[in-house]
Amino acid sequence: MTDPPQMTEDEFRRLAEFLYRRTGMVFTESKRYYVERRVWERIDATSSLSFSVYFAHLRSEVRDEVEQLINAFTVNETYFYREDHQLACLTTDLLRERVATKRPGDPIRIWSAPCSTGEEPYSIAIWLLENWKDVDTYDIEIVGSDIDTCVLEAAAVGIFGKRALMRLSPEVIARYFHALDDERWQILDDLRQSVRFTRVNLIETKETRPQGRFDVIFCRNVLIYFDDESRRIAAENLYDNLLPGGFICLGHTESMSRISPLFEVCRYSEAIVYRRPEELRRAR
Amino acid sequence: MPLVRNPTPTVEPRAPDERKPVQVLASGSDEERWIAARSAAETPEGLSLLTHALAVERVPRVREAMFTALAKIATPESASVALPYLRSEDAALRTQALDALRAMPAVAAEHLSQLLDDSDPDVRLLACEIARALPTGDASRVLGELIEKETNSNVCSAAIEILAETGDVASLPILARCAARFPNDPFLTFAVKTASGRIGSSER
Repeated sequence: MTDPPQMTEDEFRRLAEFLYRRTGMVFTESKRYYVERRVWERIDATSSLSFSVYFAHLRSEVRDEVEQLINAFTVNETYFYREDHQLACLTTDLLRERVATKRPGDPIRIWSAPCSTGEEPYSIAIWLLENWKDVDTYDIEIVGSDIDTCVLEAAAVGIFGKRALMRLSPEVIARYFHALDDERWQILDDLRQSVRFTRVNLIETKETRPQGRFDVIFCRNVLIYFDDESRRIAAENLYDNLLPGGFICLGHTESMSRISPLFEVCRYSEAIVYRRPEELRRAR
Repeated sequence: MPLVRNPTPTVEPRAPDERKPVQVLASGSDEERWIAARSAAETPEGLSLLTHALAVERVPRVREAMFTALAKIATPESASVALPYLRSEDAALRTQALDALRAMPAVAAEHLSQLLDDSDPDVRLLACEIARALPTGDASRVLGELIEKETNSNVCSAAIEILAETGDVASLPILARCAARFPNDPFLTFAVKTASGRIGSSER
């Protein structure tokens, strides 16, 4: 593949501002190559004759082009059981604490946001079925959300290649997938129906609030793409989406302590996670 | 195998609060004030509401939402509301104000020279963190000018820490002169040595 034509400094700046306003994601000069690649893919796909023609097309919001471009910008490569030490922490510590005040049959809600093509929410489901003895005691609802509608469609279909399954044992694959051919496997229907997928932009409160409150949120490797202001807004949205005492798991390079003071740090043997404090009655 | 037997119903939108935002921020519960603060940036009178409410708010999470709302407004006026809290006796409040200013770097930068000239060394020290968000060349110039005239070694150390990330060879003599002015401060001597080494290695 040949290198795409370079954007001018002004073109790059205007596009970066546009993307920031729409998504909260910040693309600096260091990401220029990455940005140019995706923009020129879209210029090609829309048969636009130049960047300026494409940018006008983008701003006029013709045929969901904004959504298509956002889809091209989101990083979607992941795999099952990624950072599984957090999944171990989920069953060893987090759920043990969450069910301390629940009764059999009560709901446990887990949110994977962003969920990309579904590897994370399905991993959570499989991990619980394989590793948590109380899995049948509670109603466990898993919701996967992403800003990218294309990946959500793929997640709902639940077809994965070898690379995505590389960390699963053959026994687990046999239990939860059926082979479509030598290269592709599909999640079993029962399990697919256990995960609900929704389109959500984490910095839009009107989109996050309807998701309701969760016991545990997995929000890994997305806040690093936001600037300080968007990170603060996302952190406050996530706080609103947690039940008091609920937990949030970030990517291993991320720290909520650097983003927001709203959460408590919880150190467990398998992972460091963050918790929405239990509500206290206090005087103003 | 399905994990869910009774999915949680979709969350209905909240019933609109009939009270005026000013009433909610003055006398609502913690949760009501938090919600009102989070939406204040979207109301025309938001800045005025936040200015008054922040002065009396004591619950950290509600204050946090107020500072975020100021950062969302992101005007020189909203930065001006946050600025006085850099002088607070409450360290948590100072940090909240600083973080809010860092979240609106362009407008905070408009106040930077005034903050770096402030008579209070604690304010000058916090202002160094605002300078961190400037474009690299601007940050190096502003911090270099500060270091050249700064009389407080703690402020110098804070500026040097950032200059270690942004500086270039032109920063090296500034650092050397600073070390010479504070020969009896071992931490500052160490900071200068570290920063000079880092800048030197990155320029090679």
